[in-house]
Amino acid sequence: MSARKLGLKQRYALMTRGLDWETTYQPMEEVYPYDRFEGIKIRDWSEWEDPFRLTMDSYWKFQAEKERKLYAVLDSFAQSNGQTGISDPRYINAIKLFITGVSPLEYQAHRGFAFTGRHLRGVGPRVAAQMQSLDELRHAQTQIHTISHYNKFFNGMAEWPHMHDRVWYLSVPKSFFDDARTAGPFEFMIAIGFAFEYVLTNLLFVPFMSGAAYNGDLATVTFGFSAQSDESRHMTLGIEVIKFLLEQHPDNLPIVQKWVDKWFWRGHRVLGLVAMMMDYMLPKKVMSWKEAWEIYFTEAGGALFQDLARYGLRPPKYADVATAEAEHISHQNWCTFYQYTHAAAFHTWLPTAQEMDWLSEKYPNTFDKYYRPRYEMWAQMEKDGHRFYNMALPQLCTTCQIPMVYTEPGDPTTIAFRQSMYKNERYHFCSDGCKDIFDAEPEKFAQSWLPVHQIFQGNCGGATVPDVLDWYKLKVGEDNLDFGQSPDRKTWDEWQASKSRLAG
Amino acid sequence: MPTLSIEPLGQAIEVRSGQTILDACLRAGIWLPHACGHGLCGTCKVDVLEGEVSLGDASAFALMDFERDEGKALACTCTLLGDVTIEADIDEDPDAQLIPVSDFIGTVTAVEDLTHDVKGITLALPPPGMHFQPGQYVNLEIPGVTGPRPFSIANAPGEGDKVWLQVRRVPDGAATGWLHTELRPGQQLRLSGPYGQFFVRKSRGGPLLFLAGGTGVSSPRSMILDLIEEGYDQPITLIHGVRTQADLYGQQEFAELAARHANFRYVPALSQEPDGSAWAGERGFVHDVAQRLFGGGFAGLTAYLCGPPPMIEACLRTLMQGRLFEKHIFTERFLTAQDGAAKRSPVFRKV
Repeated sequence: MSARKLGLKQRYALMTRGLDWETTYQPMEEVYPYDRFEGIKIRDWSEWEDPFRLTMDSYWKFQAEKERKLYAVLDSFAQSNGQTGISDPRYINAIKLFITGVSPLEYQAHRGFAFTGRHLRGVGPRVAAQMQSLDELRHAQTQIHTISHYNKFFNGMAEWPHMHDRVWYLSVPKSFFDDARTAGPFEFMIAIGFAFEYVLTNLLFVPFMSGAAYNGDLATVTFGFSAQSDESRHMTLGIEVIKFLLEQHPDNLPIVQKWVDKWFWRGHRVLGLVAMMMDYMLPKKVMSWKEAWEIYFTEAGGALFQDLARYGLRPPKYADVATAEAEHISHQNWCTFYQYTHAAAFHTWLPTAQEMDWLSEKYPNTFDKYYRPRYEMWAQMEKDGHRFYNMALPQLCTTCQIPMVYTEPGDPTTIAFRQSMYKNERYHFCSDGCKDIFDAEPEKFAQSWLPVHQIFQGNCGGATVPDVLDWYKLKVGEDNLDFGQSPDRKTWDEWQASKSRLAG
Repeated sequence: MPTLSIEPLGQAIEVRSGQTILDACLRAGIWLPHACGHGLCGTCKVDVLEGEVSLGDASAFALMDFERDEGKALACTCTLLGDVTIEADIDEDPDAQLIPVSDFIGTVTAVEDLTHDVKGITLALPPPGMHFQPGQYVNLEIPGVTGPRPFSIANAPGEGDKVWLQVRRVPDGAATGWLHTELRPGQQLRLSGPYGQFFVRKSRGGPLLFLAGGTGVSSPRSMILDLIEEGYDQPITLIHGVRTQADLYGQQEFAELAARHANFRYVPALSQEPDGSAWAGERGFVHDVAQRLFGGGFAGLTAYLCGPPPMIEACLRTLMQGRLFEKHIFTERFLTAQDGAAKRSPVFRKV
């Protein structure tokens, strides 16, 4: 019998052994100062099963090939004027939301994993986190490059870095990642590696990428595929990290549970932007947010938490509330943006009659009863020359930073208000989930940079709406307001006219 | 049907036309790494060592051109065009004997009632008999029933000239119904084996815990007889759960074994024995009894679980919350088409 081949795992172990060492000039505690304060106990780092088993050499080879493929598609998309082939110009607003709200998170993830990759003591997770850090940087870059083509023709994208740091609704995704990145390395791994990259990632990427595919945006579909091919490593890392922490010490369970509860709820709040994008911003719909939630959270997440229950971990607190909110969240968000269209860096519109019928069909319990009448009223007001703008600055939830527009569980006609006192100051929240998160770490969230507070404190360019929009680098009349009167619409109509001239 | 050989296991399975490698492996109880299940993420990448495959709808990013040239494939989209050998990212097991599967014609030598609904069936095998690892199973063909049925081998491997099977009559089950009503000594049945990755990891040493439900005790019987025969000197505990005294069998043999070997402890447990009956032994489900006997702490053991899925799941939770994890737990699952379709997360590989 010939000698049997070594398994992949053994080959990898032999190739990578001895890459780590115990420091002698400095105590290990000082080399790794952040891996104890969170209370997580690790008995044996070598128990970590490296899920990647990829050497840097092959990593570069793979990623270079992916880049070649992607940029070939982007080049041909540009050369063939792919921007003229999308389903409907309103679709571009989903891309605006993506570049201002999501791509900067890829960069934040890059930095977060770089930090974690530096500060976890075990060599396995350190290498895994470093590789993911590079992936995330690649994702940010490829998204910026892809979307830069649309930026040549449409408004609202040119100032995305400024906008991400300053604009009121973009503080929702930004503060989510700021919170994760200012946590310790273990919380970051549960927050981003597990909760975001594993539990919720399909609810972010599938809607955007399928939305792109349905609406003729081949460029975005391609960067989506390119990024998703890295996800195998990210998802495996997310699973490995939670198993590792739960198996290392029984004291880790309550800490991990608290993080799972927190990051599920925070993720759910951020994903409300995706919900609105799916239900309102995609001219050709993929599926409703409620359907996506059922497939990717209720079913897939249900199977996940059923398995994790073996460790004594329960499903995230308020998962039932989040599931009930899937009936409402996209409508409540779009209604908010409609009212604040003057302060948004993308265009808004009222759903067409056909779109409202689709919403009625997808939301038989809620749309006709609570939301259709509102859109019909606003349509009438537009017709009468009184398009409704909400000129008051909204009160924000201190935790998720979303305006306090969400309703009470079980009562969609009453706005939910929660509050806590901390050091003689009162803090406001949109939900029990957000209040719990604040109450667990008030010293952290009391420091939140809340856009409305900052405007009132004079830190955002001035006291008037035009001053603030100027400070946002948001061009009034170009980037904001309704789609119907926008320069984007005009550009598109000219393309259509020239097409028909050519054809005629 | 084409045959798929999986390295480094050295195991071969039959694959239906159009069935993906991943589906075939999972249904055969062979865990391959996987995540998205539809060709996008690349987690289930395997090497095709021999044979022709169709790569299916694998994303150009999850399976790059140069990887296609190198003979890689995604198990979740790849189908076979003939007999194929793959190498997958599977942990090698030092205790696996990699015994090739053979076909046999067994002659029924005994059919006995073990309880009111369990029969013991002995099939004599032609020389040289079957070499198997205790814990493995055979696929038995039953006249008039489509597709073979798996049954664990209850005898020790020293008795390889026969297999002893313990068969509970499944209500309305065609196969077990036939075995219970039609089978007579002298009849001949076709069978193949041995199959399965459920065997004792002797190289680990240390104390062992066997948790069995109903006829799930057949594999542990084979394993324990083998361990005791070769002088395994670490503590061995068997908890065998059934409903009532009327469902319990094998207790005399196990009790005698325990009396002769101080390191073997035998604990029959009844979950539905009427209150006030003469039963003086343990009452409750297997996982509850295990919890009591071990004070809720299982670290340091290696556990072998065999029984109906709800019992396995309850035991897994009890063991894991008592600090015994996947690496040290082994289970036997007979996956039917229905089980394979049940939604599972990729958290656990084998259990």
